[in-house]
Formats: sequence, structure tokens, C-alpha cells
Amino acid sequence: MKMKYRSKKGAERASLVAIHAILIIISVIWLIPFLLMIILSFRGETVGTSADYIFPKQWSFNNYIKLFTETKFLRWYGNTLLVSVAVTIFQTIIILATSYALSRLRFKMRKPLMNVMLVLGMFPGFLSMTAVYFVLKEINLTQNLLGLILVYSASSAMQYYICKGFFDTISKSLDEAARIDGASRHTVFIKIILPLAKPIIIYTVLSAFIAPWGEYMFSSFIMLGDPDQFTVAVGMKSWLDNSSLMSDGYFAVFCAAAVVVSIPITALFIWLQRYYVEGITGGSVKG
Amino acid sequence: MADVTLTHIYKVYPNGTKAVKDFNMQIQDKEFIVFVGPSGCGKSTTLRMIAGLEDISAGELKIGDLIVNDMEPKDRDIAMVFQNYALYPHMTVYENIAFGLRLRKLPKDEIHRKVVEAANILGITEYLNKKPKEMSGGQRQRVALGRAIVREPKVMLLDEPLSNLDAKLRTQMRAEIGKLHSKLQTTFIYVTHDQVEAMTMGTRIVVMKDGLVQQIDTPKNLYNYPGNKFVAGFIGTPQMNFFEGTLLKKGDDVQIKFEYTDAEITVPYSMLYKAKPSYLDGNSVVYIGLRPEDISLACDDVKNNKAVVKVVVSHKEDLGSETLVYGDINPNGDGYVESSTRIIIKDNSGRELKAGDVVEAALNINRVHLFDKKTEESVLPRVPEYNYLDCEISKGKIKFLGAEIRLPASVNTEDLKGELLLPTDAVTPDGDLQAEVVSCEEINGVYLLSLTLGGKRLYAVLPEPVDAKTVGIGIDFKKITVTACGENKIVPMPEVNAFPCKFVKKKICERVEVNGKTKKKKSVQFGLTVAGAFFGVADETAQKIFTALGIKNAYAANLRLECGIDRIAVAESGIAAEAVQTLDYGKEKYLKCKVGDSFIYVKTEAEYNGNICLLPDFEHVGIVEIEREIKII
Repeated sequence: MKMKYRSKKGAERASLVAIHAILIIISVIWLIPFLLMIILSFRGETVGTSADYIFPKQWSFNNYIKLFTETKFLRWYGNTLLVSVAVTIFQTIIILATSYALSRLRFKMRKPLMNVMLVLGMFPGFLSMTAVYFVLKEINLTQNLLGLILVYSASSAMQYYICKGFFDTISKSLDEAARIDGASRHTVFIKIILPLAKPIIIYTVLSAFIAPWGEYMFSSFIMLGDPDQFTVAVGMKSWLDNSSLMSDGYFAVFCAAAVVVSIPITALFIWLQRYYVEGITGGSVKG
Repeated sequence: MADVTLTHIYKVYPNGTKAVKDFNMQIQDKEFIVFVGPSGCGKSTTLRMIAGLEDISAGELKIGDLIVNDMEPKDRDIAMVFQNYALYPHMTVYENIAFGLRLRKLPKDEIHRKVVEAANILGITEYLNKKPKEMSGGQRQRVALGRAIVREPKVMLLDEPLSNLDAKLRTQMRAEIGKLHSKLQTTFIYVTHDQVEAMTMGTRIVVMKDGLVQQIDTPKNLYNYPGNKFVAGFIGTPQMNFFEGTLLKKGDDVQIKFEYTDAEITVPYSMLYKAKPSYLDGNSVVYIGLRPEDISLACDDVKNNKAVVKVVVSHKEDLGSETLVYGDINPNGDGYVESSTRIIIKDNSGRELKAGDVVEAALNINRVHLFDKKTEESVLPRVPEYNYLDCEISKGKIKFLGAEIRLPASVNTEDLKGELLLPTDAVTPDGDLQAEVVSCEEINGVYLLSLTLGGKRLYAVLPEPVDAKTVGIGIDFKKITVTACGENKIVPMPEVNAFPCKFVKKKICERVEVNGKTKKKKSVQFGLTVAGAFFGVADETAQKIFTALGIKNAYAANLRLECGIDRIAVAESGIAAEAVQTLDYGKEKYLKCKVGDSFIYVKTEAEYNGNICLLPDFEHVGIVEIEREIKII
């Protein structure tokens, strides 16, 4: 009887082909809306509330010119950038410090504290929205960018988990060696741990930046009624809600705004993607 | 100068596990101390406590003259080398070595000079600009050593520094660390689980097991005079052979019978003088330990030796220069399983042997080790604790070994024939019983005097050597025990008095005059209540109690106050006691008092009667927590 078998190489190739085919299909589905948005932003003729055809009859930069001259977009963009950068700085510092403390120090209630923080972090943030709003109102921080920064940075410590996991992989004997060498805890953190934690710092910076950049719910609530204080997400949503504006062909301007909004994030990602991947898989550090 | 003194050091984890129990040691300046033991024995924990990386639960750690219990690692002036090197991966070798100096803000050119000097000593000059990951394990460990020596610490701590290296490199680094020690002239404390490392490097070795120190001694003494079965088995490869057997004294000979086999040998009693007589009764089973190198298969040895057993050879390992012969003294044993009849012999005779051969092996009984089967402690100690003698008491005189001494009034008893348990340190060289000196050897700071009295052996432990051929000996009667018909007729006086006590806090309200006005000043005084009496303690003592027991438990814990019989005196106030009897030992007098239900002994000059007060010398007392047996002070 003749044995039937496929060569190992053949089998491997077949599975590779299958995997790639699936990946290509998924990425096409993912990329189509994005590409459509870019194409629409360059359309010369007016667009209704939906695109009836894909490729424009006339390519032009008019939508972008309109965006920066006729609307408050530039102001919103500035607001968002300010909030995001401020939150990134606060959040990174808080998360790194919390994670290091939880990874290295042993104190009473450490485990319960970690668990409570983890569980609290699982609740959606908007549950507390009304309460937060009233608190902010009491201290006069509604319709104020400072209020937004405060809200975004406030719960940073709860995101200690990934970062702590990374610190845990750094051998404790490094801390001990440095402490014997004459370093205080603070010096150990700054001079030994941080230089080794580059990937996780970049991961923290990126995620801290992205979250407020695209956040809608809290900002729409806190900034309600003052268009000068809108972030891009709130501002652009206000266009979509305005049907007369939309029928006026503003959808193309909206798409142009979306492209401009995505530029910094895309640039950041491309620049830092190497570290980003390394960061979340937890780079192993040899002692 | 940096002596390291560990006094009653404990490490107790919150869940109650005792990682280190009552560690006592005095490490002299420039010594090379090795902590050795199987994993989990507490050796690394002890080292880390010295380094300051672990808190000390109880006890006192001194480096030099400073108590460093609560000192940060960086202030202890120590350096440590870790098993995984712990080099800073993002720094070059130069920066790694210079890190500690930079933190101490030394001038740049001095740092440079020191780093280059250290690199020169360790032969890593050419790697100074490399990162640790570009280097091999051996080179990395050199960098770690460099980082430690560049600071010129008082004490160097090394935590299994060679475990991650391959065998050849390990041998090489071993020699280099030894060289480094003699060059730097600092105290080294080295932790390892490898007994070869311990034996080759240490000036003294601390053998540990389950958090307890088993023995502290020089490598040679550990090998020749192991204090218990664990040390005997741990030190030396291949392992010591352990047989089970019984010893029976027959006149001037001792018959040794091995268990689980018919083998038996007879040896002269003179070889086993130091053995406790109770084990020579032919019933008590002991472990008989003999190293493979103390058993010979050579024909001459077998001919000239009476202690010969028959061995069935099972297999052998040829090591080139010598052969390890595995066999069994039980004809049916298989020689592979570790049993109490399996025998390993280091054979240099070059005899050709094959499996199944029956050969005669000569046992060198001069080098035999005997251990109690239950406690596993040596019953053939290097320094015997007691002399076991027959005695006869009549008319206030005690007769033993043909000599006769008058008993002091306080230990007099009825006439009897019994056994005298005479501690070796109760034999003093200032009496008038003439004994012949056989030998006088120094063992760990004391002198063991072997004497002959009435043709029998008598041992004495003295603090000073004796040169003369004969010496007049006396006996410290407060340490002796006499038993007759299974009853203790004379019991030794305890050397330490124990009182139950509690730790208490007392609020004190004082009236202080400030600028003419009387003000109330409140303060807190910590102290101990001992049998109803309150004694204030120094803040330092209170601090130690709090550290060992925790703030909450300190007041609830049952404590025991221990003080030597010469560290307590009759005073005007103190612990209420009732004087019962004055014990007269000739040169010294002691007062026996009753406190509660127990008896307390006090050294005294005068005689007392009735109710008195006792005052312990709080500079020299011990405080023990009863429940966990932790010595706090």
C-alpha cells in the first residue's frame, strides 16, 4: 500500500498562503474607509451627506483651504494638542512612578490596593461623568481646558498594570546593586530603571497621547456650549450634527479635517512603532 | 578595621517561617568566610541581612564598632557581587565600575585612576568601553568584581558569584577571587552551595541547614571533625559512608557490629576514648561514618589491620589517578542504592576488580566518626563535653579513678555508689589531685588536656595551655552530676536564671518647674515587669523588642528574662524573693532563693535569711520570646 503524505514544506507553504489571504482581506476591509476619507477630502465638486461615487471628477485643495480659513478648526486643533501634550506629561510621570512603586516596594495593603485599582479601572469612565461634571462646576473648571486635563490625568495611576509588568521583568538585583553602590531609591529609578524602560515609556507616552486626542464623551460634556474651547472630536461632531451645514457640501471639509487630525498620530506611530511593539510584549532585560 | 559581629540574628517572615535562627558569629577583619549549605538553608538571607537588603527580625549586627541594623545599604560601607552579575546593561564597563564613585561625588580624575587600577587588577582594561551584553560570563563577573573592589569597602559580600559560569572558568575565577582577597586585605563573606568552593576558598566555613548553623570551623577541621552527620555528609566527595551499627565495650576492646549484615570488627578501646560510654552498651544504634579515603583495599593494609570487612563489589568509577569502588558489606546488597550497608572506597592500589568480586577492605578506625541515630550529633566529639566515671561517695568524700576528694558541705549526700558526670570544663588545674598530662592541644581557642588518672583517661578543657608533665587538678562541684540507681543524687546548679516577664509601657506624670511655674509633664517609660517588679529599660532595648515582636504584639508576648548566676545581686529593691539556703562551694558561696514557684541562684558573699530583693544586672541580661524561642537581646 502506498503511503499518502504531503511534504512538510508543501504544508507550510499552503498554510502561509491561507494566512496571508485572510490577512489581506481583513486589511482591505480596514483600510477602505480610511482611503475613502482621504480621496473625498481632495474632491473639487461638492459632496452631499454621503458619497455617491468614489473617485472625484476634479482634484483640489479647496477643502483644506476652507478648513483653515473659514472654520474654528485651527483653534480646536490647538486646544486638543495642548490638552494631549499636558495629559501625556502628567500621565506618563504618574504611571511610571506608580508602577515602579508597586513593582519594587513592599508595603501593607499593596496587593489589595492593586486589585482595587484593577477592578475600578474596569468600570467605564463615563459612569462617573455626571458626578465629575458637578465637581468641576463647583470649582469653576467647566468649559475650561484645565478641567479637561485634570479629568484625563486623574485616574492615570490605574493604568499601572502593563508598566508594572515590565518593571517586574527587570532583575531586582540591579536595584540592589545600585543601592549598595550608594544610590537612593530615587536615583535607582532615574539612573538605572528609566534608561532600561525606554520601550515601556514610549508605549505609555503613545497611549497617553492618543486617548485625549480622540476622546469625545467627556470633552463634549465639559465643553458644552463654548465652541472656542472645543476639541477636534467635539467640534467635528458638531458639524455632523448640523444638517444644513452638511447639505452645504461640508462633508468634504469634514474629511479634510479628519485627515489633518490623523497626521500627528500616524507620524508618531511610524516613528515609534519599533518600540511600541517591543513595549507591549515586554522587552526582556538581561541582568 | 572591620570585624562583623552577628549576635542572635533571626529572620522571621510575616507568615512565621524562620529563615535564619539564632545566628551567632564573630567574623574577624581580613577573614574569608564561606556560608555553605543546600538551597533554602538561609545562607543567602544571612548575607542579604548583612548587606542591608533584608530587614533583621531580631538580633544585633555590627560592622566594625557600629550597630548597622537600621542602616541603609549604602551607608554600611560594603560591596556585593551577585550571582547574575547585576551589571547595568545600558552603561559601559567603565561607567558600571565608576557608578558608585560618581554617586559619592569623587573628583573625575580620581575616579578615572581608580577605575583603571581596578580594571588592571582584573585584566579587563581592553573592555572598558564595551557594554555588558557584548561580554562573556567570566568577563561580566570580573566587571561585577571590579565594581565592588573599586569602592574599597570594609566588607565584600559575594552571593554565589560563580554559579553561572562553566566548570573550567569557575576553577579559574576561584583562584582569582582568592588572589584578590590576599591582595585587598578586606573581609570577604562568600555564599555558595558548592562545597568544593567552600573548602578551597574559606579561611573559615559556616555550614548551614534549615536556617540553623551546623558548624563553624576551618575547612580542615570541618573535614576531620564534623560535628554532626549532616556536616559529615555534606563536606567531601564522594560522600562519607554511613553504616548503622552497635558498639560494645569488652575490657580493653570495643566490638563494632554492623546492622543488616554479619560484619563485625573489634578495635582497641583507646581509639574510642572520647566516645560517650552510654553508646558502648551494645544496644544503642549509631551511625558509623568513614570517608572513602579511610578505607583501603591494599593488601598490606588489610594484613596489618584488625578492622577488616568483606565487600561485594558492584561497580566502579575509574577517575584515572584513583578508582572509586562501589560495593556492599551485605552479601546480598546491590551497591547502587544509598543504604546503610553500601560502601564507597577510594582505591589507589590499582587492583583489577570486577562486579561480584568479594574483597577485604581495611577500615581506618582512627578516623571513624560516630553519630547518634536520632539527633545525628557526633558521639565521638573532638572536644568531649563530659567525663563519664564511676564513683563512690562515703563520709563526705567522693572517690573516682582511684582518687579521693572531700565534697563541699553544700553538695553532701548519703553514702552511695554511682556514676559521676564530670563536665570537662569543671576540671580545673588548681587542685591537688596529681594527674599525668598525655597531651594538650588547642581547639578553637580553648585547650583540651588529655590526662591519665589512676590509669584511666580524663579530659579537661582549659582556657590556658599546660606545659608541665603532671598537673594538680581540682573539681568545680557546682557543675557535676551524680546518679545512683537511676536517680540524680547531685544535680548541677543552673548557670542561668530564668524569670518570666512582660514588656510594659508606663505613663509617667511629672511635675516640672519651668520659669517658676509648676507644669505637668507627661512621658512614657518602657520597661519589664519581672515577678511583679517593674524595671525601666533603655530606649534602645525597647526598640529591639518592638522590632522583633511588632508594636501590637510586644505587650502581649510572654518573655523570659535570662541572667547569669553571677549577674544578679541582692539589693534594697527589686524582685521579691525568699532566701532558702546558702550553698557553700568552698571558694564561692551561692544563695538559693525562691521566686514564685522556681528557684533562683545568686552569687553572694554574705548570708541572708527570709525575704530579700534581687536586682539583675540589666547590662548583661537576655530576653527571649517564649513562643517562638527568639532571643531578642
